[in-house]
Amino acid sequence: MVSGKPSNIKLFKTGKNFNFILILMCLTLVFLGKLDLIAVRNIKAFLSDFLAPVTYVLNKPVKEIAGVFEDVKSAGSLREENIRLKSEIRKLKVINSKTSSQELELLELRELLKVLPKQKSQIVTGRAITAPGGIFANTVLINAGKDYGIKIGQPAISSLGLVGYVQNVSLKTSRILLIIDINSMIPIYLTSSNWPAVVQGQSGNLLKIKFLSSKAKPIEGEVVQTSGHGGRLPAGINVGKIVKSFSGKFYVKPTVDFQRLTYVSVVTNKNTQPNYSKTFQGFAPLQKPETSIYLKGLNSRGKRIIESSKD
Amino acid sequence: MIKNNNILFNLYKVSKNIIFFIFLFYLINFQTSLSLFPIFAISTPNLILIIIYVFIVRLNIIPSNSILCFLGLLHDIMIGNNLGITLIYLLLFKYLTQVMILEKINKNNQDKWIFFTMIFVFSFSVVFFLNIIINMSVPNLSPIFFHVGVTLILYPIVNISISFFNYVTELIKIN
Repeated sequence: MVSGKPSNIKLFKTGKNFNFILILMCLTLVFLGKLDLIAVRNIKAFLSDFLAPVTYVLNKPVKEIAGVFEDVKSAGSLREENIRLKSEIRKLKVINSKTSSQELELLELRELLKVLPKQKSQIVTGRAITAPGGIFANTVLINAGKDYGIKIGQPAISSLGLVGYVQNVSLKTSRILLIIDINSMIPIYLTSSNWPAVVQGQSGNLLKIKFLSSKAKPIEGEVVQTSGHGGRLPAGINVGKIVKSFSGKFYVKPTVDFQRLTYVSVVTNKNTQPNYSKTFQGFAPLQKPETSIYLKGLNSRGKRIIESSKD
Repeated sequence: MIKNNNILFNLYKVSKNIIFFIFLFYLINFQTSLSLFPIFAISTPNLILIIIYVFIVRLNIIPSNSILCFLGLLHDIMIGNNLGITLIYLLLFKYLTQVMILEKINKNNQDKWIFFTMIFVFSFSVVFFLNIIINMSVPNLSPIFFHVGVTLILYPIVNISISFFNYVTELIKIN
């Protein structure tokens, strides 16, 4: 540590160039980091692993205090919440009775059309270690890594919908890039009109809709789900709802509350190979030649055998 | 004996640096975890820059470049930022503070606040434009304005708190 008294101005001036060189070196580092070199990624992953417990311990007190504030806030609105939940249960019961009959019908239709069944994916759930703080980056570190079969690019979900996807994996931890991050782009479709589009994060609360057809007319409150285009993310995961801004532009509001993320599940595809022998019942197996009784003087096709050719 | 003193002095310097680093590291973590509070859900204030400024201007303690480098890198890794962004932010802030403050020392509190505003806004703008270049996209501006606004409002509060703390300790000393 250098004392910053006026007598040290000379010393500081000699170090001016050094400071400038240091800032230039940092700039180089920024662009090197952006190149996403494997070595840089590995170093980052190793250090994330190493720092995870420290970060968890340092964040714990603030997390607890924030939890207390949240509890106090929710206790105040407990009665209203109870009434809202009761009415929601009533509605859900009605919907449930309808869907159970529709589900059976859907299964039958699927069987008739020989639609490929959905891949059964495994889910690994980890606890969020860090808060999604930072104005330039929106990521969360979870305490599950390569050990549990997590790989880069796999989708991360919560009970409410899509959280993001895995950006970096180390042995014990994984970094999840949240859908609100500026570097995140998710292929989606509007559930009512079936129009495909892409949503991009803006480092804010809303997601920007891109590549939406000019013919599409989004409805406010319309549910948006992943389309599965590109094969990276599975289709049908809830992303959010359409909201209209004051300027008349449409945005997507994520269903997930990123500030309250405690547990995050990563969809791992350990058993991605579907069992074709069970699923493809439509193809007939190769037919064996039938054992038949040949009539005297006739071949298997029923044609007459010419005696001379037989000789 | 002189040699021994040198060793002790170096040890003192190293231990002071380590303690300072631990303090700043805790603070940067605290700053990140503030986003768990609903008030700071959009973005968190930059406490670390306020503290560095206060250390330089009021307490005449200038953090070494190595501390800032290490701190910036760790923070970038921890929150998944582009590597080097926080580092540039911290170094630029320290560099500008030194340029503006050390050469024109003895200012009143209002001047210090204005200088802080200028330095902070300039260093933040540099980092912000750097981020735009890297990501090839302009982020939502409301969290950014919130971040800048809250940081600028928090500076005098921190300053007054330190003054109050100093006043109380002086009173205790007199008694």
